[in-house]
Amino acid sequence: MIRVIKLNKSFNGKQILENISVTFETGKTNLIIGRSGSGKTVLLKSIVGLHEIESGEIWYEDILFNKLDFAGKKKIRSEMGMLFQGSALFDSLTVEQNVRFPLDMFTDNSLEEKIERVNFCLNRVDIINANSLFPSELSGGMKKRVAIARAIALNPKYLFCDEPNSGLDPITAILIDALIKELTEEYSMTTIVNTHDMNSVMEIGEKIIFISDGVKCWEGNKNEILNSDCETLNDFVFANSLAKKLRALSK
Amino acid sequence: MGAVITLQTAYNTENPIYPKYLIGLGCRDSMILEFSSTIAALILAGKVGSNIASEIGTMRVTEQIDALEIMGVNSASYLILPKMIATLIFNPFLTLIAIIIGIFGGWIAGTLAGVITSENFIYGIQYAFIPYYITYSLIKTVFFAFIITSVSAFQGYFVNGGSLEVGRASTKAVVYSSVLILLFNVILTQLLLS
Repeated sequence: MIRVIKLNKSFNGKQILENISVTFETGKTNLIIGRSGSGKTVLLKSIVGLHEIESGEIWYEDILFNKLDFAGKKKIRSEMGMLFQGSALFDSLTVEQNVRFPLDMFTDNSLEEKIERVNFCLNRVDIINANSLFPSELSGGMKKRVAIARAIALNPKYLFCDEPNSGLDPITAILIDALIKELTEEYSMTTIVNTHDMNSVMEIGEKIIFISDGVKCWEGNKNEILNSDCETLNDFVFANSLAKKLRALSK
Repeated sequence: MGAVITLQTAYNTENPIYPKYLIGLGCRDSMILEFSSTIAALILAGKVGSNIASEIGTMRVTEQIDALEIMGVNSASYLILPKMIATLIFNPFLTLIAIIIGIFGGWIAGTLAGVITSENFIYGIQYAFIPYYITYSLIKTVFFAFIITSVSAFQGYFVNGGSLEVGRASTKAVVYSSVLILLFNVILTQLLLS
């Protein structure tokens, strides 16, 4: 479980996140949704410690993460996996080397054991016969899946995904969503997904928070999101004309 | 570079009072004292410096550095230290190679152009040789290697934005490295040769 309490973050005097408090639950896919520029990525990067926060608390179970020193954060980070918006695979390494990277950094396993784990993770995300390929030789969907394989290589307790569907077609996007949900349940991880894709929200949104202009406006799940009283959330959810027509019909 | 020094020295010292072997001596000392270390460093600032800045800058804007951080890896140390060690070790070898090739080029050009005999040139490069000049050149090279790597890595590591900013960082890396190399060239020369 990850708890965020009264988190504030600003850049150059401009307030980006204001008094965000939320609990992300274990074994569930927790979604942070909001418009582009609403502060989703800043919140996610603050939670993982890539951004220093001005005030507030970030708890990983019973450990106050934002007050830890580098060594303390490193220990928690060995239990984290993160999928970045652009996959962030290392260009100079092959698929196998990319997935093996965290194993090389954090384990004393033999090369055979590492390769076995790499192949297991790659099979888990349906990447076959691509070990020797470089990221530049992969499609967008394959890159995302390799990045997921790298993120789960160390059996993380916490999985963070920053817009996992960006740039993907709807079918591949649903496959990636399903994979994230499956992995979350299989390994009982605390998963936080940043997205503005409503398909993802309706597919995997077990817990959802909606952020607008750096403020948490709404919290609930995929069953509650269509019946919310929050106007800004409704504007977001029913943004396209099809959704507006369906809403009008249902009323 | 050695060839040009030899030819220019020859064409500018036509007075018969000057012994011809001074052309070889001039080529040797110019290559050792200045051209092999400083000019090679300026060329490396363009080649290696822009390469380091753009490589690390691209890793920054594509979140590869964030990915390293999230894995608990000290990204600055992981990315910059090997490059620093490599340049500190190998640039002195490049300088030595530049000295040898430069003097050899001077000998070839001088003899082929007929401005100096082979015997005079070889006598010149042996005449009044001060071994400390090699040490001085290598010390400068090590300083310049540090400047190139650290300045370029800094520019790349702290880049913000996209491909445009990576390009700017790369340009800044070359410009700042070159200016610092020229500045430290003066300082080190004063400190080491005075």
